[in-house]
Amino acid sequence: MASMSSPCPSTSCPDIMSASLVINGLSVSLSDNERRFTLAVPDLSLAQGEVVGLTGPSGTGKTMLLEVLGLLRRPTGGAYRLTDDAEDIDLTALWSLARTGPDAPQVRATHFGFVPQSGGLLPFLSVAENIALSQRIADRPDPAWQAGLTDRLGLASLVDLTPAALSIGQRQRVAIARALAHRPAFVIADEPTAALDPDAAVAAMGLLIEAATAGGAGVIISSHDLALLDRFEMRRIALSITSDAGSAEVTSTLGPRAAA
Amino acid sequence: MKLVFDLALRDLLRERTHLICNIAVLAGVLVPLLVVFGIKNGVYDALIGRLLNDPATLRIETSGNMAFTEVDVAEVAGWEETGFVTAKTRSVFDFVNVRRDGAVEKRDAILVPSGTGDPTLPDGLDLLPGDVVVSANLARQLELSVGDPLQVFTQATERPRQLMVPLTIAAILPDARAPGRSLFANIEVLDLVEAFYDEYALPDHGITEGRDLATRTPEFEGLRVFARDIHSLAALQSRIEQRFAVRTEARTAEVSGVLSLGRNLDIALLLTAGVASLGLAAALVFGFWGEVARKRQTIAALALLGIGSRQIWLFPLVQALASGLAGLVVSFALFLLAGAAAENLFDSGLTQENGLVVLSMAQAVIIAVLVLAFVAFTAYFAARSAARVDPAEVLREGAT
Repeated sequence: MASMSSPCPSTSCPDIMSASLVINGLSVSLSDNERRFTLAVPDLSLAQGEVVGLTGPSGTGKTMLLEVLGLLRRPTGGAYRLTDDAEDIDLTALWSLARTGPDAPQVRATHFGFVPQSGGLLPFLSVAENIALSQRIADRPDPAWQAGLTDRLGLASLVDLTPAALSIGQRQRVAIARALAHRPAFVIADEPTAALDPDAAVAAMGLLIEAATAGGAGVIISSHDLALLDRFEMRRIALSITSDAGSAEVTSTLGPRAAA
Repeated sequence: MKLVFDLALRDLLRERTHLICNIAVLAGVLVPLLVVFGIKNGVYDALIGRLLNDPATLRIETSGNMAFTEVDVAEVAGWEETGFVTAKTRSVFDFVNVRRDGAVEKRDAILVPSGTGDPTLPDGLDLLPGDVVVSANLARQLELSVGDPLQVFTQATERPRQLMVPLTIAAILPDARAPGRSLFANIEVLDLVEAFYDEYALPDHGITEGRDLATRTPEFEGLRVFARDIHSLAALQSRIEQRFAVRTEARTAEVSGVLSLGRNLDIALLLTAGVASLGLAAALVFGFWGEVARKRQTIAALALLGIGSRQIWLFPLVQALASGLAGLVVSFALFLLAGAAAENLFDSGLTQENGLVVLSMAQAVIIAVLVLAFVAFTAYFAARSAARVDPAEVLREGAT
């Protein structure tokens, strides 16, 4: 089993060893005939090894923010960069047709891991194959690291099963393992425990944070469950509606967690 | 790309029901078409083969007493529709007597104008001056063999002496090629017989009385022509009739009938295949498209993990082609079974040699390539739909 105590004990660690995601003045807008919604992110940073909890009422755009962070949605304006000691990547430029170099899916495959609420596992692959999939896509095979993750997340006895044979909690643990298997610099978890009972949610959240930080990844977790987030040490940020109620122009702005 | 191939095939094999449905849809359309196509091939090839095996199919004979010259013969020989042509002498002089050199027994026989290139003769036979080809019937009656010296002789009422022409047997034709008693010789032999009947002196053959042969202008009653192939027969017959204002006899109606049958069968098959293809295309397009809609979460998950739209479209395409390949294998297997059953059910002497249901390897390969191209085309909409799947759908499912 690979050691989980150091950020990156393997020789196949990602290139970015002290990377940060930095957002300044970013905005994303959606509109229809009756309503315009704008997500405003004045400043946000996420460093490797850091854990950030994202909260906010329904409809404030938590998933939209995670989509922007995960290169799944094009920002309307502002700056979004990935920086480390060696390079400084303008992530908003990935959407440009004139860009050269890797595209958004390639950057996503190598630098990001995702833990969706639903697991998002492939039903035709076994647990072991699902976990290894992120390594295959990122071209970072590391069986020892995968075995360590599998053991740490309590999946060793399940590796030959398909997702259909797993409980929801087990599927989420497989999704966590898959999100970390290719040693991404950042992990994006969207309501990763929403479908779990309270005890299983605590266990899964603990495993996610422990495994991610042990691998040196920065983690951002969105959740409705404030009490659950309170149980873990993390920086908290929150989205809140800042425009007038009933206005056709709705703006949700990211800020630090409001004082209790 | 290899990863997408691997994942697509793994998914396809897990969803066997869907795979079996696609195979059944393909086989349901392909097998009947293959059987009809095979039967069309078998019956039509047999009919065409029967025609091609008989050189008389290509023959055109002018009727009536006309006056053709050697220039006319050369002109017809130069036409692209012509395979072989020779002049004919007056038919009243075609009957001659024949005996093996030194033998007493004789037979009367028809002397037919021929020459090198006459499709009636054995392939590649060079009919030299002094050579003759005899029918099997005549050879049996006079106990003739290839290489035997032969005497062709004839008697005219007004001539005190017989004409005696020595020839050598170059080949013996089978009964199917030349029924009855017949001799095939170069036109010069027939022209000599005609000159004899026209009372010319033929000193080379011991006939010194008569008109001077030098004053004779060769003129022929008709033409014996063979078309280059069965497709040229009707055109050649029409051209001869128009050019020389003569009536001709040929098996044009029979050949045209078979060729027309082939064309009509092709059209019927094409129409059937076209209509069947429309139905098949609709079934496959919506089938493949529906599969992508059903598997949006799977495709979105792959896209979320970093397989971009430039590769993800291969996922449904690979599955479609694999389904098509399996459908082809099953279809050809069922076709062979159906073909064997048809051979047993239909007692067809027409197709005893080559079979009733015929499909060549080249035709099978072309059909397979066309079917796979067709399947790939029907998977286009599914591929485009897969490329447009938003990977964020995985996050949005259940998002608040």
